Amino acid sequence: MNPAFFKKVKRNDRIAKWIITVGGMAIIFSVVFILILIAKVSLPLFLAPDKDLRAEFQLEHKTAEDKILALGVDEYLETGYRLDQTGTFRFFNVHYGSPLDTLEVSSETGSRRLVTARTYGRLNHMLVWDDGSVTIEHVKFYPFFDEKNDNVRSIRHRIERLASFAAPDYGLPVETMARVSDDGRQVRIDLFRSGEFQVTIAEEEESLFGAGDRIEEMHQLELGAVGDVTAMTMSTDGLKLYAGTSTGEILRWDLSDIEAPLLKETTRAFTDQREITALNMVFGDISLIVGDEQGGVSTWFPVRDADFGWKLTRIHELQGHTQAVQDVSPSPHDKSVISFAADGIKISHMTSERFLVGFDHGAERIVDFAQSTRGNGVITLSDHGTVQSWKLDIPHPEISLKTLFGKVWYESYPEPTWAWQSSAGTDDYEPKLSLTPLIFGTLKGTFYAMLFALPLAIFGAIYTSQFARPKFKAIIKPAVEVMAAIPTVIIGFLAALWLAPLIERSLGSMFLSLILIPAALMLSILLWQGARKVTPLKQVERGYEFLVITPVIVMAVAIAAVLGPGLENWLFGGDLKQWLFNETGTRYDPRNCIIIAFAMGFAVIPIIFTIAEDSLSNVPQSIKAASLALGASRWQTVWRVILPSASPGIFAGTMIGFGRAVGETMIVLMATGNTAIMDLSIFNGMRPLSANIAVEIPEAPVDGSLYRTLFLTAVILFVMTFIVNTVAEIVRQRLRAKYGRF
Amino acid sequence: MATTTKNMNKYWRVGEPMVWLSGASLAITLLTAVILLAVIMMNGLGVFWPAELHRLELKDGSQVAGRLMKTEPTVDGNGLRRQYKIANRDMYGLDFRWIDENQIVRQAKPKQLLVLERIEHGDFYGELQSLVINGARHRGSLADLDEALTAVNKETDGLKELEDKLNDASYQMEQLRLKELKYRYKGLADSDSEMITLNQDKVSLDKEFRQLIDLQTRQTARAREDKAVFTDVSGTEKEIVLADIFQVYTPNNMSAGEKMVFYAAKLVELLVGEPRESNTEGGLFPAIFGTVMLIFVMSLFSFPLGVIAAIYLREYAKEGVVVRIVRIAVNNLAGIPSIVYGIFGLGFFIYGIGHSIDSFFFPERMPTPTFGTGGLLWASLTLALLTVPVVIVSTEEALGAIPREMREGSYALGSTKFQTLVRILLPMASPGIMTGLILAMARAAGEVAPLMITGVVKLAPALPIDGNFPFFHLDRKFMHLGFHIYDIGFQSPNVEAAKPMVFVTTLLLVLIVLIMSSVAIYLRNKMKKRYTFGTF
Amino acid sequence: MTETRIENPIIEVNNLKFYYPGNARALHGIDLRIPEKQVTALIGPSGCGKSTLIRCFNRMNDLIDGCRVEGEVILEGENIYAKDTDIIELRREAGMVFQKSNPFPKSIYENVIYGLRIAGEKDKRLFDERVESSLKAAALWDEVKDRLHESALGLSGGQMQRLCIARAIAVNPKVILMDEPCSALDPKSTARVEETIKELRNEYTIIIVTHNMQQAARVSDYTAFLFEGSLIEFGSTDQLFVKPQNKQTEDYITGRFG
Repeated sequence: MNPAFFKKVKRNDRIAKWIITVGGMAIIFSVVFILILIAKVSLPLFLAPDKDLRAEFQLEHKTAEDKILALGVDEYLETGYRLDQTGTFRFFNVHYGSPLDTLEVSSETGSRRLVTARTYGRLNHMLVWDDGSVTIEHVKFYPFFDEKNDNVRSIRHRIERLASFAAPDYGLPVETMARVSDDGRQVRIDLFRSGEFQVTIAEEEESLFGAGDRIEEMHQLELGAVGDVTAMTMSTDGLKLYAGTSTGEILRWDLSDIEAPLLKETTRAFTDQREITALNMVFGDISLIVGDEQGGVSTWFPVRDADFGWKLTRIHELQGHTQAVQDVSPSPHDKSVISFAADGIKISHMTSERFLVGFDHGAERIVDFAQSTRGNGVITLSDHGTVQSWKLDIPHPEISLKTLFGKVWYESYPEPTWAWQSSAGTDDYEPKLSLTPLIFGTLKGTFYAMLFALPLAIFGAIYTSQFARPKFKAIIKPAVEVMAAIPTVIIGFLAALWLAPLIERSLGSMFLSLILIPAALMLSILLWQGARKVTPLKQVERGYEFLVITPVIVMAVAIAAVLGPGLENWLFGGDLKQWLFNETGTRYDPRNCIIIAFAMGFAVIPIIFTIAEDSLSNVPQSIKAASLALGASRWQTVWRVILPSASPGIFAGTMIGFGRAVGETMIVLMATGNTAIMDLSIFNGMRPLSANIAVEIPEAPVDGSLYRTLFLTAVILFVMTFIVNTVAEIVRQRLRAKYGRF
Repeated sequence: MATTTKNMNKYWRVGEPMVWLSGASLAITLLTAVILLAVIMMNGLGVFWPAELHRLELKDGSQVAGRLMKTEPTVDGNGLRRQYKIANRDMYGLDFRWIDENQIVRQAKPKQLLVLERIEHGDFYGELQSLVINGARHRGSLADLDEALTAVNKETDGLKELEDKLNDASYQMEQLRLKELKYRYKGLADSDSEMITLNQDKVSLDKEFRQLIDLQTRQTARAREDKAVFTDVSGTEKEIVLADIFQVYTPNNMSAGEKMVFYAAKLVELLVGEPRESNTEGGLFPAIFGTVMLIFVMSLFSFPLGVIAAIYLREYAKEGVVVRIVRIAVNNLAGIPSIVYGIFGLGFFIYGIGHSIDSFFFPERMPTPTFGTGGLLWASLTLALLTVPVVIVSTEEALGAIPREMREGSYALGSTKFQTLVRILLPMASPGIMTGLILAMARAAGEVAPLMITGVVKLAPALPIDGNFPFFHLDRKFMHLGFHIYDIGFQSPNVEAAKPMVFVTTLLLVLIVLIMSSVAIYLRNKMKKRYTFGTF
Repeated sequence: MTETRIENPIIEVNNLKFYYPGNARALHGIDLRIPEKQVTALIGPSGCGKSTLIRCFNRMNDLIDGCRVEGEVILEGENIYAKDTDIIELRREAGMVFQKSNPFPKSIYENVIYGLRIAGEKDKRLFDERVESSLKAAALWDEVKDRLHESALGLSGGQMQRLCIARAIAVNPKVILMDEPCSALDPKSTARVEETIKELRNEYTIIIVTHNMQQAARVSDYTAFLFEGSLIEFGSTDQLFVKPQNKQTEDYITGRFG
């Protein structure tokens, strides 16, 4: 009729086709896209650490006299400094090596010559002066805003003296170590050529009126029959002292009592009696880092043994060196360990036992190094005076497949275990990010839920589809579908605030009803056999059974409720929960898997029911008729003929219900104790992957290890439900092709 | 006798008991659903009914006034005990108290015992002693109290208007502040004309604001001058500012009709009022509004996308591997746990797109996020993804139920695919499509987990729609009925006191969801019947 | 195959082969000439390909994915299977009535003018005209003229089928294709539809597929007998039914197989 109109119509048709096709394909892609995105966020967990050489320059004053005793660098990797034997801190620009300024320190006694210096903690330097006195200096970098110059920010530095220690009367020590704690307690260890090992402690005496006098005590520490002391270290607060010997022994002292330093333990650390060449403590002062003459690096901490004593035990073995370890030091911000030997520097993480990065200068030999307090950089100094400044990118050192899935021996734990505990409020906390308890939790919750839901849903579906009157079926089916729409937050709320207290109060009644209901059913079936002889009642059979049986169930529960407390008194001495604990050691958690079974089961039943019922109803009537015509009873027909035919559909429904249970969040969040334990008992809770995400992600710092690990758990959840749903869908499509619509 | 045994054995052999057992399974399932609804109704419906107050005299001589909550056996099993809500939280420290029945000597229901609903500290039970109006104290009757309250209410209404004006003013100030940030970011100096105008605006707005604050302070002080003195059951006096009183009534003195009116008024308050006392009292209006907004914005996205995808699957895609893969993808979308959607929304929408929007359009406000944090838009998008499969499945079912002859008839008359779609198929499928939409909306009302991490909050400072440009604030956080239940029930400082509110919210949400789902299912069943028309 | 010469056929079928998906051949080289403004019946036993053939005439078979066509079908001088054929236009030229009547769930009025609307017509007067003329031609006008705007689904089975005929006529096609239009109707409705067909022949060419030989004999001018995908005989109805030239035709007509 109208050519212009035709063109328009055809063009619309083409446009529509294009839009609709794109829209349709978008669906596949969105599923893939979701997976890709969450995987992308979690992937950096497994990225290899990276180091980047930022600058390299020669230091002036590299004469032998100006032996460099310590290096340091600020957290912005802009300013570095070196300390030489004259007590001079020379600051320089890390990018170019250009000198900035110098600050000088001297001892309280006026000495201007240092014997040695040790770095510990965050830019703290312990300086040993030639007269035996010791000072502890802290290099403080602080930002400065120049008001006169548009508030431009620059980094300034100054040196704070934290403590000073007088020289020992005994003479000049061979080896000295000193620490000062936050509350001013000073500890000094001296090792003398004669083998004397001395500790000097100074602290404020506690008194009722506040700060008291300063007291100082000195003690000789008995070593016993061990080799020569070759290494020592103290915790940052000066309370723990460790010494290592030339024959591989480690000694441990508790210095908390100023009157009586206590030798807690002497351990033979190495059976081959290798010399311990370096000692230090991991950030947090729990684990001991041990470097030995064969280049080995390991970490240790005291573990409770069978006799309730504490035994220093080797926990982690880290990547070692080819030659004797010269120095070990902790990272100032996490549980990483730096070890230093003639073949260079190695950085590893203690918990995951991962080797992270290593440095060497090639032909030149590294003599000293410093790490920035944020762990984002390292500067190294070679024997030729070359300084290299490295930027470190170590995103997630504490994560490895072993820490995610395997058993890890965490600090202060008696043995390797699976644990999830993401933080504890302190800076030096060792994160425990094992996914195994969470996966266990998901499976446990799903198991108990399916245990409750599956029989009820399937048998209920069988009844509705095969035995119920059509007019009832027309009500039951929509009713169950509407049940599926009840928000899980409501189910969770009722489970936690109504059901849990109810069951806790009447645990005995609950178990009793589990026995009474089947018993009542059996009884009523038996009675029914007699009753059905009366003809009008026989009518009931065809399709009314579920109505008739309802009062029986209600009565059984009522009887159980009434008899329960009495029974509990009689059999279990009043409290089933107490009895359980006494007999089996099982604790009853008010929010436990019984609640979960009911609640999550309730949420999952409608899904399984609907699909199972559909597939049962879609079995062609002809098959049913044929079976009945052959003389089979109605149940036999169902059991032998219809159920097998419908089994793919029922299987699909089960799979989908399973997937729903795996992913359920709100019910578990509200109705369990959300404790990440791995216990099969039905009387306590668990923490599944889903609720874990909901609980942890609001507080997880973006792009941190916890954040990315949570995304990894989302990937796992996605994959689990993907597999289950795809299997179910393939089965359903096969069925659809076979039987038409359902 | 032998026949009976034989019959019995046959009965068992034939499997008849199994039929009963499966009937029992169905019965248990339905019973649990009925019990769930019953618990919600029983606990929720009674909350607003003005229950009577008892005055008890105990054996130890003390007096207790309270509302009976429940009765149960005592801990040691002898006799019963009662839980009373004794209110007066600020005086007693706790709201509820258990009293053993054998401790009660006398029980009365004095008519003059009144209930005060207060803005803070919950309810007060007691009697009126005197009024303090304009500094003068004199005895008063309940009628006098009502009169005084009405007068004060007028003042507080005026204060509310003032508060709104203040809110508008601070909003304007905030906008100016942001504008200033933007100018500075662009590098404008104080001497530029825009900055000058801005500073002028700031000054005048400041002045206006200060004036309003002054007015507010004065008026508030005046409104708070009027007080009343009440006594609790043991005679302790308590002075309460009239402006803090929300409502007063004497439950023992109300007829059934009056109680019904009271109940109805409470229902209205629930639906249109603001929450009080950390969400444990008051109204649900912001939560209802937030839920409605969420549903609305979500449908804007999921409805077209879902319908188009379903049309593609049913009408355009060729049967074969592609369609099968797409179907598998759709059903997988339906099965992905909702929390995974939430975390995807967080990573992609909020920290991805939201962050980019911020860097692009609002760089001057950084690091404070505008769109790079949870809000209505991102929550709606996340839920849209979650509910798209529902729309797809329903639409597909509806389109699939249309007999082939309809399509053939249309094509045979010379129509294009698109014309057939628009003129014949979509209208015929509309009930089914509606079903999908309604089911999706019901899901949005009830789903909580993904919302918790994409923008729902306990207490939103403002509604997502208000009178300030641009009127639709999709970046704002909002409140939601489902989350409300979780929050009040589990993050309240006082769970017992919060329980009534949780039950009421639960009842409301359950009713909404059940009604929507029933309508959807009804539509779907009606549609299924539609296609057996004509006689053959 | 026995030939009858048709001058100026409206449809010319040349060596038409049709393959269902999977290369199952349903039509083996059909040659046929359909006379203009006559009623031609296609008869044959179940599965002989008569429905497939008629659906080739308006390319409804295109709706089945994976079908293949070889040969030509020439409608008014143009091969409808040519690459640049406008299928929409074709379907307007060749209207179809189906075995199962399929009125749209709209009003009677809207059903009839559907074809006009999708062609872009908006003229209300044209609509009113066409509705009346089409419904009259389909012998339905008197029965429904007072309820044109009621739903078409309220009609009886026979009425619905006549409505479908009216709907097809409303776009002024050249050919009306009818695929077993009466097989779902009771005898009374069948009779009325047959009457309508006989009257329509003055204006339109009608091709009707039927498994009812008596109907073919009553209604058609020419008959084509197909068997297992091939055209066995084509001739004037009188001649074919009284004196079939082919033994197979005779066997079928006399009921030796069906």
